[in-house]
Amino acid sequence: MIYLIEDTINGILMGSIYGLTALGLTIIFGVLKVINFAHGTLLMVGMYAAYWSVTLSGLHPYLALVIVVPVMYVFGYYLQDIVIKPIFKAEKDVREPSTVIIVTTGVWYVLDNLTLMIFGPQYRSLPDNPLQGKMIELGEMFVSVPKLWGAITAVVTALAVYYFFQKTRTGRAIRACSLDRDAASLSGINQYKIYNMAFGLGTAVAGVAAVTLVPFYNTFPTVGVLFDIKGFIIVVLGGLGSIPGAIIGGIIVGIIESVGPQFMTATWTEAIVYGLFLLVLFVKPSGLFGVKYDW
Amino acid sequence: MTGKSMTGAGDNNTPYETEDAFLDRSALARQVVKDTINKVLLGAVLILVLALPAVISSPTWLHIIVLIFFYAYLTTSWNMVGGFAGVLPLGHAVFLGIGAYTSTVLSLQYGISPWFGMFVGGILAVVAGMVIGLPTLKMRGAYFALATIAFAEGVRVMVENIEYLGPFKLNGPRGLQIPPLNIGWADFMFSSKVPYYYIILGLLLIILFLTWTVSRSKLGYYLTAGGEEPEAAQALGVNVSRAKVIAMALSCFFTALAGTFYAQFSLFIHPKSTISLDISFEIAFIALIGGRGSIAGPILGALLLRPVSDLSRIYFGDILPGMHLVIYGVVLILVMIYQPRGLQEPLTRIYDRVVNRMADGFIKGGDK
Repeated sequence: MIYLIEDTINGILMGSIYGLTALGLTIIFGVLKVINFAHGTLLMVGMYAAYWSVTLSGLHPYLALVIVVPVMYVFGYYLQDIVIKPIFKAEKDVREPSTVIIVTTGVWYVLDNLTLMIFGPQYRSLPDNPLQGKMIELGEMFVSVPKLWGAITAVVTALAVYYFFQKTRTGRAIRACSLDRDAASLSGINQYKIYNMAFGLGTAVAGVAAVTLVPFYNTFPTVGVLFDIKGFIIVVLGGLGSIPGAIIGGIIVGIIESVGPQFMTATWTEAIVYGLFLLVLFVKPSGLFGVKYDW
Repeated sequence: MTGKSMTGAGDNNTPYETEDAFLDRSALARQVVKDTINKVLLGAVLILVLALPAVISSPTWLHIIVLIFFYAYLTTSWNMVGGFAGVLPLGHAVFLGIGAYTSTVLSLQYGISPWFGMFVGGILAVVAGMVIGLPTLKMRGAYFALATIAFAEGVRVMVENIEYLGPFKLNGPRGLQIPPLNIGWADFMFSSKVPYYYIILGLLLIILFLTWTVSRSKLGYYLTAGGEEPEAAQALGVNVSRAKVIAMALSCFFTALAGTFYAQFSLFIHPKSTISLDISFEIAFIALIGGRGSIAGPILGALLLRPVSDLSRIYFGDILPGMHLVIYGVVLILVMIYQPRGLQEPLTRIYDRVVNRMADGFIKGGDK
């Protein structure tokens, strides 16, 4: 029983971090109506940025946020501006241009393999960082400290993004754009600038997720692929475009992955996650928190 | 083959040209000359591909060409639902896997010829296609794409975990090896690559002919209408979902046939090589680069993308690992930015211009 509770707690913590990795995906989908297949890759770029800024400066891993988040925002902003915007302009009247999926996959291939060429295939983990391997003892249970910090960061980030969308002027402009591109443009909103900002924001959030992952996860060129498909599942479970949905979807996946091995072979849990995903899709395609008209 | 399909598209798009042609006798003559040129070119291409194995003796090159045809075939099957119906399936490798596993299990355990197993696999793939297609085909693009990915990945994870499915031995992640014992046509197994070349060429010609027939049938028009303007098509009484389901069934069936071919060609299948996301993605890339929903598109895409990945792997593989995928990704991005409708469009234009000029030359030459 105690193991079950321990696994559930660790599942919730890891799940929140999964949710954080998927949060950027849901932000970008919410505004651009496009699945960003390069999201896992952007997470990988963020992890390398975090890894090198911590290794070279020797600071506390979480202080890397100060460097990684702005860098990732600018990176995402210009990635959208230079690579993805031309396609939106070419396919103005298509609501969900599928060519964007192909382009973002192209970005994924290019960035993953450039990283492989530059940094090599090695797995890198932060040497002696203050969070590594730390555990809190709760009675007989052990809770991982870096995951706890990651989960707290996830919730804080989700709240901050939510606040930004609801209360700030820019946030409202972004939401207006996601509801109706043409009406927003008519009201004087520069829709392409909004897209760039939304993409930058999604990338910056991936950067936050990367910073929380680096203290306890290996950094390597294909690390993004592990989070890519998981991210898609999480955002559909929670509802594409929904911010609380991303975190809660992440927690569901986290709990299944961490509690599941108590009852079955660990590899089967992956099949359970896919099964649950399809079930949600068949029964309630808008997900747990999604907006109905979006599917 | 490319010649035939390109003319097909040209005829469809310019009904007025033919009407005018009846009014203007010189234009009529020109049309006849153009048709003849198209037929001659098509015949020349056919003779060329039929004679190719006699010219190329290097097994490596033959292997590359077989893979080009294999991907052209897969993409043409994909195109029925992904191109004409306007949805984006990204998990088609699962049907390839079903085809490969069905015929292999039947031939290894029961000694049934893969030629028969091929069709059993096709039918099973249709069943699987309905399981995923019926609930999801009516959804918007993003959801359908993600559902197909999840379905394919879910099946892959299951196959990796299953040693025995009832009486059938799947052998989990280690996969199945086909011992090359009975070589010959009856067992779909050859020591040379030439018979494989002709088999995949035959399959490709069949699927091209089928796509051509579908594209000019009622079903094809329903699919295009439903893919472009689902609401308008429904208002006109087109049963869009039904057309999509039929297209999906056809697509699954023919994709599974390629699975049997793959199993017999490589003589070793395992979950990661057959039900792989890489193959699913590559099929979609080839279709979008070549031109979705056109007959020539998949062939052009396969002709361009396969050599890019094969040759850059051969030349850069040792020096710069990963370089071939960088090149591949850059090609994808550039084509999508500059030709979002695929390469089929500008190439058809160039082809038409060349044929026109040739027709002019013939007519002038005839006058003299």
